[in-house]
Amino acid sequence: MKRIILTILAIIMLPISIFAISGEEIVRLADEAQTFKTAKSSGEFQVTDRFGTKITSFNSWARGESESFIEFTSRAERGQKILRTKDEIYLYYPDAEELIRMQGSALRQGVLGSDISYEDMTGGKDRAKQYTIEITGEEKVLGRDCWILKLTAKTRTVPYPKEIVWIDKKSYLVLKGEYYTKSDRLLKEMEVLEIGIFDNIETAARTRISDTMKSDSETVLVLKTFKANVALDNRIFSLEELW
Amino acid sequence: MKFLISLAFKNLTRYRRRTLITAGAIAVGIMMFIMIDSMLRGAEYESVRNLKWYETASARIYNSEYWENRHQMPLDINITDYKEKVQKLEEKGYTAAPRISFSGELILNVIDFGEDGSMPIEVTAIDPQRDFEVFHFKDTLVEGRFLQPGEDGILLGSWFAEDIGAKVGAWVTVVTRGNGGFYQSMDLEIVGILNCPNPNVNRSLLMMPISTASDYLEMEGAATEINIRLADNANVKAETAKIKSITGNNSLSVYSWEDLAFDFLAIAEAKRGGSSMILVLIFIIAAVGISNTMLMAIFERTRELGMMRALGMSDSSIRLTFMFEAMGIGLIGSIMGVTLGICINFYVVNVGFDFGFMLRDIDIGYRIQSVMRGVWNFDTTAIAFLAGIIITTIVALLPTRRALRMDIPSCLRS
Repeated sequence: MKRIILTILAIIMLPISIFAISGEEIVRLADEAQTFKTAKSSGEFQVTDRFGTKITSFNSWARGESESFIEFTSRAERGQKILRTKDEIYLYYPDAEELIRMQGSALRQGVLGSDISYEDMTGGKDRAKQYTIEITGEEKVLGRDCWILKLTAKTRTVPYPKEIVWIDKKSYLVLKGEYYTKSDRLLKEMEVLEIGIFDNIETAARTRISDTMKSDSETVLVLKTFKANVALDNRIFSLEELW
Repeated sequence: MKFLISLAFKNLTRYRRRTLITAGAIAVGIMMFIMIDSMLRGAEYESVRNLKWYETASARIYNSEYWENRHQMPLDINITDYKEKVQKLEEKGYTAAPRISFSGELILNVIDFGEDGSMPIEVTAIDPQRDFEVFHFKDTLVEGRFLQPGEDGILLGSWFAEDIGAKVGAWVTVVTRGNGGFYQSMDLEIVGILNCPNPNVNRSLLMMPISTASDYLEMEGAATEINIRLADNANVKAETAKIKSITGNNSLSVYSWEDLAFDFLAIAEAKRGGSSMILVLIFIIAAVGISNTMLMAIFERTRELGMMRALGMSDSSIRLTFMFEAMGIGLIGSIMGVTLGICINFYVVNVGFDFGFMLRDIDIGYRIQSVMRGVWNFDTTAIAFLAGIIITTIVALLPTRRALRMDIPSCLRS
């Protein structure tokens, strides 16, 4: 009798164990969902602080998870460029005709005064290997069912020792995120305000990012166009192209 | 010759007012020379002392790769097991203090500071029990207390505290990157305010206990630097070589304060050049004055000069008479100038001039916070004395030559 009950229980539980997905797998899929062989996009930063809102537009090109190139097109910043290679970030200011390699504490500075730091642009997206991941619950964000995952860094080399992210069960988009210091101080918050479909790809169209250490400040990143897997010239990601 | 000297002396006493005015101009030039030289040397002397006492120590040990990357203040390029190294140095008779230096962001809150804000900062984590043996911060506390090991406390420079409106007892948050790159935040209480005589330090000083920093930043017994105090008369080059042999580790490098403050020394060198130019200008102005006075004196006496030549006095004797006269003026001026210079230097050395209103906001390169004091330099005094006589004699040559070119009838007619 006991054996029959155990067999029945095993059969009932089988679909759950087969289809249960691990935290690592969710994060891996989420990272993959936002990594494209190549991509081209345009959009704007809407930076709001106590002095008002400032809008900065840009064109961006990306290759894989670690190479990107941003050129600002708004009047005040026209010609300023940011090149991110695998290990470095370079800035180019056309007025000064100067190339600056960002390093050290300068990486914490916001890109053009926004809440997005240069630090946020660095590093790979292979978080599944860098963090211990735990599913802590489920919640609806933007009307979509999401997993809530707690990521605790396994190494000291990642910027955020602890992250809590809300990942859409359907699209694997990260719809919300909280990023903490080692002492559990909330450092940065991210929230997708609107999801858009570009070229049949679902991605965040409007994202709010706020540096919690800076009061009265937030940045909304608006994606206006997005095209994945486009042909890109190799030279785009070279230092020579910055000049 | 005796006659010529006596004639020159008579001329000096005959035109007493002119002699005194010309000698006065020389005296002012010499006095300024002595005073400015004393102040510039004093500023340099005090700057070097304040550099060693509050900024660089006499020598410093870094990881060999640190120097190249020092502007990024990396925590992962460090000196492992610093306690063992400090102990080794102390066994050999050196006074050493470890430090962890890192950059970050200071977050100010509305409750303690009236409004929220943030700014980039550099923090120095010190060993409160050893640091005062190498650096001289012990006498600089103006408010609160010093740090205690292991506490979440911070000390601020008084100018920095004034700039951000910080008070003892207020809390600040420091956001930084730990050893490896992770973000870390530290809530720290301001326990004391230091008024450091080195303006560069006082403008940006933030100090916390090394044990607290080590825990937060996961340094695992490592420090970014070990500072060493040497005797004032020590041969720094020889001592750094000795320290290097004590560490016996190729991954560590020893730098003297001159290596660490090379930018200050380069500026000081350039300033010295600039200062010499100022002193030369002062002398040129004095020389022009002397030359002008001598010219007037000679033209005033053209008839007399013509008469002397008509009576058979040779041009060289006349030239010598005027040179002796100028030398006499130079001698009187130099004596007056040196006396005045010594008198004013007493004030400059013992009291000094307070430039605090200016140095508070402007970095002039010198490590002086407010009072600029001078130093005694007897070489300069001797040089000024001799230069006063020699220059006066030389500048008298030109107008004499011009007067001697005139023929005797023209001299007598004028």
